[in-house]
Amino acid sequence: MVEPGTASGAPSGSATSNAGPTVGSTEGSILTTNQWRDDPPAVEVVGITKRYGQVSACDSVDLVFHRGQIHGVLGENGAGKSTLMKILIGLVVPDAGQVIIDGKPSVITDPIDAAEKGIGMVHQHFSVVNALTVWENVALGDQMRLNPEAIRDEIGDLSRHYGLDIEPNAVVGTLTAGLRQRVEIIKCLRRSPRTVILDEPTSVLSPGESEILFEGLRRAVEDEGMAIALVSHKLDEILGATDLVTIMRRGKVVAHQKTSDSDAAGLARAMVGRPVALRSEREVPSSETDSPKRRPTKPKQEHASLEIDSVHANGDDGRVLLDGLDLKVYRGEIVGLAGVEGNGQRPLADLLSSLMSLASGSVRVDGKPIACGRAGAMAKAGISVIPEDRHDSGCVLEMSVAENLFLADPNLVARRGILDHRKMTYRAERLIERFAISCEGPDAPMWSLSGGNQQRVVLAREMAHHPRVLVAAQPTRGLDVGAIEYMSEQLRQAAAAGVAVLLISTELDEILDLASRLVVLSKGRIVGEMSREAVDIERLGLMMGGAVP
Amino acid sequence: MGAIWDIIGNEVTYSSAMRFAVLLLFAASGEWVAERAGTLNISVEGMILAGAFGSAVSYDITGSIPLAILMGAFCGFLVSTIQANLSHRLPADQFVVGLTINILILGLVGFLDNVIEPSVDKASQATIPGLASIPVIGPALFDQPWPLYLVYPLVPAVWWLVYRTRWGLEVRASGEDPNSADVSGIRVNKRRRQTIYLTGLTSGLGGAYLVFGAVGAFADSIVGGRGFIAIAAVIFGGWTLKGSVAGCLLFGAVVSFRLSLPDQGYDGINTEFLTALPYIVTIVGMAAFAHRVRPPAALAKPFLRGLD
Amino acid sequence: MTDVLGSDPIDGAAKEVAAARGRHLVLGEIVTLYALSVLVALFLSGLLVSLTGGSARDVFSALLDGSILRPGRWGLTLGSAAPMLLVALGTIINSKAGLVNIGQEGQLLIGAAFAAFVGTRLGGETTGSVAGFAVLLTLLLAGGLGGALWAAIAGALRFWRGVPEVLSTLLMVTIAANAVGYGLKKDWLLLAPAEGRSNRNQVSEQLADAVRVKRITVFGNEFPLTVLLAIALAVVVTFALSRTVPGFRLRMLGQNAKTAQRAGVDSTRYGMAAMALSGAFAGLAGGIMLAGGDFGNYQLVPGFSVSIGWTGLLVALVAREKASAAVLVAFLFAALRTGSGFLAATGVERKITGVVQALLVLALLIPPAVLYIRQRRRALNASKERI
Repeated sequence: MVEPGTASGAPSGSATSNAGPTVGSTEGSILTTNQWRDDPPAVEVVGITKRYGQVSACDSVDLVFHRGQIHGVLGENGAGKSTLMKILIGLVVPDAGQVIIDGKPSVITDPIDAAEKGIGMVHQHFSVVNALTVWENVALGDQMRLNPEAIRDEIGDLSRHYGLDIEPNAVVGTLTAGLRQRVEIIKCLRRSPRTVILDEPTSVLSPGESEILFEGLRRAVEDEGMAIALVSHKLDEILGATDLVTIMRRGKVVAHQKTSDSDAAGLARAMVGRPVALRSEREVPSSETDSPKRRPTKPKQEHASLEIDSVHANGDDGRVLLDGLDLKVYRGEIVGLAGVEGNGQRPLADLLSSLMSLASGSVRVDGKPIACGRAGAMAKAGISVIPEDRHDSGCVLEMSVAENLFLADPNLVARRGILDHRKMTYRAERLIERFAISCEGPDAPMWSLSGGNQQRVVLAREMAHHPRVLVAAQPTRGLDVGAIEYMSEQLRQAAAAGVAVLLISTELDEILDLASRLVVLSKGRIVGEMSREAVDIERLGLMMGGAVP
Repeated sequence: MGAIWDIIGNEVTYSSAMRFAVLLLFAASGEWVAERAGTLNISVEGMILAGAFGSAVSYDITGSIPLAILMGAFCGFLVSTIQANLSHRLPADQFVVGLTINILILGLVGFLDNVIEPSVDKASQATIPGLASIPVIGPALFDQPWPLYLVYPLVPAVWWLVYRTRWGLEVRASGEDPNSADVSGIRVNKRRRQTIYLTGLTSGLGGAYLVFGAVGAFADSIVGGRGFIAIAAVIFGGWTLKGSVAGCLLFGAVVSFRLSLPDQGYDGINTEFLTALPYIVTIVGMAAFAHRVRPPAALAKPFLRGLD
Repeated sequence: MTDVLGSDPIDGAAKEVAAARGRHLVLGEIVTLYALSVLVALFLSGLLVSLTGGSARDVFSALLDGSILRPGRWGLTLGSAAPMLLVALGTIINSKAGLVNIGQEGQLLIGAAFAAFVGTRLGGETTGSVAGFAVLLTLLLAGGLGGALWAAIAGALRFWRGVPEVLSTLLMVTIAANAVGYGLKKDWLLLAPAEGRSNRNQVSEQLADAVRVKRITVFGNEFPLTVLLAIALAVVVTFALSRTVPGFRLRMLGQNAKTAQRAGVDSTRYGMAAMALSGAFAGLAGGIMLAGGDFGNYQLVPGFSVSIGWTGLLVALVAREKASAAVLVAFLFAALRTGSGFLAATGVERKITGVVQALLVLALLIPPAVLYIRQRRRALNASKERI
């Protein structure tokens, strides 16, 4: 067996070069006797490289997916897993390397081509059309004549076979995230793919839903000899559901092993590149410091810094987004908002970014009510936000780094309404230095920066305002480990400095690591609260799943 | 009040309204599909004009109206290839392309019209026995120049195409969520181009109909912005075919007032007002309805992946 | 620090574009592409002329003679270019804010009508040069106000009723033309008193001499001083957009409306302002056309706008939101216009210049689009060759 990559040195070389043969030798022990056992590997990837500017998303990656196995691809966000999978279904063109399907070298030009070659993908995002019905979505991408009856029947058969129940005539946009994913899976399975790629499939599911999903997948693998690639950054998921695991870090394959030979600590070490304490095994944050500011059990303040009082909000289509949400965040504490994605995280962040107005309820900062939805009102009141999607509402890609640093308050670098370029450059340089933003200078266009550095620009701008409240929505998504640690440290420092921090995250580990108090969001309202010391993971899971105990 | 009842009860009002509504129906039926696929195609004006001129010229040469109508559709199609390929094969802005095409066709037709000066006739009246004698609306629907009847099969055909075929499903997916459609293996830009070609064909037909069915003559000002009213009818109709047809009928009626009211002896109304009225009604109609309906989610948003 | 590609596809797409923009732009390729497409546009125009029995060479030299070469012609061209440039400047403002205003022709006409109303009412008897200048300023402001109001209607419909401004501005062109036509029929609005208009029934009173824009002569070329005003405004617009706080916020709104909303840029307020300003520039263009003397006889008639609004819009499109480029393009398109005055001698219909103009615009749209596609194709081909 190949050992997981050891300390940060040069772990990729030996692991990648003999990854293939190693797997071959272990195959027999994993596979039961099935007729596809002697087939060539379903998909083999040789030396795939894809670079974006200076950054290698994939760096000569070798990987083999065998039929009849669930193969975990583990890596931190940004390790190159997603890029690799996009190459496999033809969404991204690699710079170098080869894909071999069923023993034949192939070029995959687009998703149709991939489907024809037997590769299907269940995407994390962007794949079902909300305005269409379930059966229309399932039929999308077929080639033959449209036959609604036949498709509805097929959906019925597949639902029964895999235990994925769904109503074929429902409009997808009205379904829950879990059901939408079910549509996606049925759509994929219906084309009887030989290889299925699942990209972070449980990020939108409650624990119970995840279990059902993996049961169905196991059946597909064992009955039909499918090869399944399970892309994930969650250790327990990989350990629980896969036969083999490949670990990627910074675009490279760093380790490759049987799941049965793995343990969480070893996988985490290989994934991160050095020994780490698993977040959930760390000390409870409150014991790291005894500052009373840190976690006020009985707040001395008259008002919470941020006070959200029974807010209701509806989407344009009339869907309920926030349903009587109550939340208080006091100065100096980090409140972790846990929950399954799609339960109101985005609307809440939008609300606190002045992007949404309310049907009823109120938002107050230090007791003062704020006009929700009025441009810039939240920022003016002292709420800074690190948005989930920085391209959506965090920065302007076409503008320079300096301009992005002063989006909210250009008057800081202007005199009588006229921008003072020299002052702007000077101040921007200081921020670039303080937040260690790596760029060509203040005038470099924002699009030329890497994701992590763009995130730092956003952070620098938001912190420069000396906020009363800092809202961080999925602040580490898409960042590498170094960047994650940096961001975490910044949040801790902000709280220590007396800022009320609201951390919105779907990563339970992240919340457990940082927050002093947890609240659980489900269906647009807070369904539970517990202090960090008194965390009960099981109860938390039930709450996140919508079953309030 | 009496005057209003006179107008409402008069068969001429309906015949005249229908004549203009049909031009809008031809153009809007294609435009509706294009918008469902995600293109707000403002070059529809140029497509109608090209169709009108092309059909007029080919009638001048061949003397055959059916042939001329085919030629009109073809000329509309030719214009649509410019729009489709510049905005959905190359990533040029669809409004910029559409606007430029309109100016180009207006200039080109104006220039060539002076050189060629095609002469045309009106198509013969075709009365459908029985149906034409339904009171009030019978003559409007069933006693008209024959090219008008082409629109009757066209509208249901377009409905069938969009709601009952795989092509239509892919068109709707492309207009709602091009990323998902793309990931599902649909060639979004190809579908969008095809819907623009369809718009070219129907608008070209509309132009030919305008020449032979409605006016019986050609001038370079013959379309006069009615292509834009067809676009407005689609928006007014909330991007449903039913609504678009209703919009066309309403706007068509208003367009016809300018000619039909003075014809019926109501010449006290200011002609400038009557000329502007369809545009005013269109804007008011959109103001009343546009915010209540949901446009295709990707309307007027380019889809860049797959442009290769 | 090594950051790695985020998992969201937008991130990837942005990087791909960034890489394409950053590294592969070969200057020679750009020049060749532009030259080629302009040549094709000119060739097609020439072909059209030849096919209809004209001589492309004659047309070309007539256009050149009529626009620049013959005595006094470039002054005329400057006079035509000024309103086009103003319209283009307004268009640049609304484009920067992410709005599509294509109704400048109507806004210009309404501006001219406001200017004519104010100019004839206030300045009917004016003779003194100071008083005349005051009236001139007022009428230009009125022109701007008229255009602004007209465009603001479309803005209001967009922001409060969800009507796409691309359509409302367009439809309002026809409404504007008819409204002005109506005004020219009523003597309480624009129609000149009976004794001043012989037998024309749709014409406004002439502006008094003192109210007209002064014309200057340089090397035998005469043009109104408003040409200088237009160029000065081009500088002002460039500066305002790139260096002032409101300009900064306007660009923010156009490039990322959500980020702008967070940062306190009210999309309705700024959007309305951009629409109104854009209309004001078109209206001002109408005002200087009326008072400048290059368009008609200092009086308003139906069809007064003579497509200057449309042409100005094209200027902005070709100049790709750059005021400095707009100055040059406006001169080029104005040259086509004044040059067309000499076409009669060649026997070619002057409407050909409209065709040439539109073909040129299409030609200039293509190169940037092709360059974008080429980057992608290169990447794809490179991967195919490896098999």
